[in-house]
Amino acid sequence: MKIKLLKPGYLPGLLTIVASILLWKGVSLLFLPIFLPGPLVLLDRVIEVYGDPASYIVVWQTLSRIFTGLIISMLIGTAIGLSMGLQRNVEAFLDSWIMVLLTFPAICWAFLSVLWFGLSDIGPVLTIFLIVFPFVAMNVWEGTKAIEKDLINMARVYKAKRYLTLRKVLIPQLMPYLFSSMRIALSLSWKIALVGEAFAVGSGVGQKLIYYFEDTRVDMMLAWGISFMIVMVLIDLFVFRIWERKTFAWRHQLAA
Amino acid sequence: MASTVVSVNNLTKKFPAPGSGEEFTVLDSISLDVEAGNFASIVGPSGCGKSTLLNIIAGIETHESGSLKVFPKAGTSNSAAHIGYVFQSPRLLNWLTVKDNIQFALEAQNIPRERWHELVTKYLEMVGLGGQERNYPLNLSGGMQQRVAITRALAIEPDVLLMDEPFSHLDEITARKMRLDLMEILQRAKTTILFVTHDLREAVFLSDQIYMMNTKPARIFKRVRIDVPRPRKPEDPRLFDLEKDLVREFFSELEAQGYK
Repeated sequence: MKIKLLKPGYLPGLLTIVASILLWKGVSLLFLPIFLPGPLVLLDRVIEVYGDPASYIVVWQTLSRIFTGLIISMLIGTAIGLSMGLQRNVEAFLDSWIMVLLTFPAICWAFLSVLWFGLSDIGPVLTIFLIVFPFVAMNVWEGTKAIEKDLINMARVYKAKRYLTLRKVLIPQLMPYLFSSMRIALSLSWKIALVGEAFAVGSGVGQKLIYYFEDTRVDMMLAWGISFMIVMVLIDLFVFRIWERKTFAWRHQLAA
Repeated sequence: MASTVVSVNNLTKKFPAPGSGEEFTVLDSISLDVEAGNFASIVGPSGCGKSTLLNIIAGIETHESGSLKVFPKAGTSNSAAHIGYVFQSPRLLNWLTVKDNIQFALEAQNIPRERWHELVTKYLEMVGLGGQERNYPLNLSGGMQQRVAITRALAIEPDVLLMDEPFSHLDEITARKMRLDLMEILQRAKTTILFVTHDLREAVFLSDQIYMMNTKPARIFKRVRIDVPRPRKPEDPRLFDLEKDLVREFFSELEAQGYK
């Protein structure tokens, strides 16, 4: 392992990390720890967050909002993107609406959901949905342009029903686009969820952030931010990447 | 006696000409019949509209006038005929295994699930791909992929099998082997075939009947029976002589038409 890490290819990256940690340490000495904690202090705080069983409930609250919003956005975004790609009149009708939604300032949705739904789960989920589904729809719509018409004709020749064609011919061709939109959607969703929680909901990771913000505890804000980031990276690595690799196994499988 | 499976009568197809409101005729008064168990070929120059004709028969393109009928097997309760189609390229679903690719057609054609295993095994065996059920198409050579496409078409036990230059994308050695194997497979499967090609040698070797087609607009100008008994050998001199005669006729026809 050590030999691998010290390979020339890893060296520049490793040096950069070491250098920035040292720089961070240096700068942190100029400030009070509550404004800018040093690396070791922060590591301590992160361990503190992970050590407290109550943290897991907080993280779970946020995760459930993220995934509710994400799943709804993926389903509706895919349905809209697909129908836009396959039907001219739907495309003409929704084209400009998607653009409007994409350009509408995200923060406005967060405020609006507070006004409309107050302190409830609907607020953050709706905010995620309104911001994320246009991205998904756009991406899937783009993906439909790459669908091979020859394969659709093959399905028509064999008189495949619409649902069978969707499952076995269309969706598999959209998979690369679905995965890339899911990645973007996930990273957008968790940031939006935190903002939504900070504004409106009295629970979740966002609430922790606003709580420590009001207390001027930069160390704890960073600790929570980093802790949650680690959770999301792990989900990306161990759920999405593995799922993706399984889905595209047919591309890599070599003859025995 | 032999009954007619495909009957095309005075079929005409027009396409809108690009850039103007006018239409040009692609297929002009095409008439042809394919009898049960026969191998019929349509031979014509590239781009003459042969594939369009197959697509019309397969029901994925429309036509302006004339009639077209594909008769389902006598004694079956199905009202609609089963049509198998082998395209120039395999058109397989690369994300599905060989078996699932074949089952896609079986499911599409509403063939009862209990029969799937038997049909997949039987026809994969027949095309020489026994044991490849779980493999993925991208692991197979071009020729083997085309064999999977042929299996997919045979497995639905079609009333007629349409083939659109199925060997034109393969190298000549593979194509030659595939033609020989196809003859053997068809003798066993007793399928009715309508085959499209621009290759007269291929048509003469494979067919019982050849329809020769010219172009712009496409008409059938000659119908020939090939009576050389089966099994045939590619180097049979009778086939060579027939091919020579037909090539000569083709050129005089195209010249008369002013084809360049």
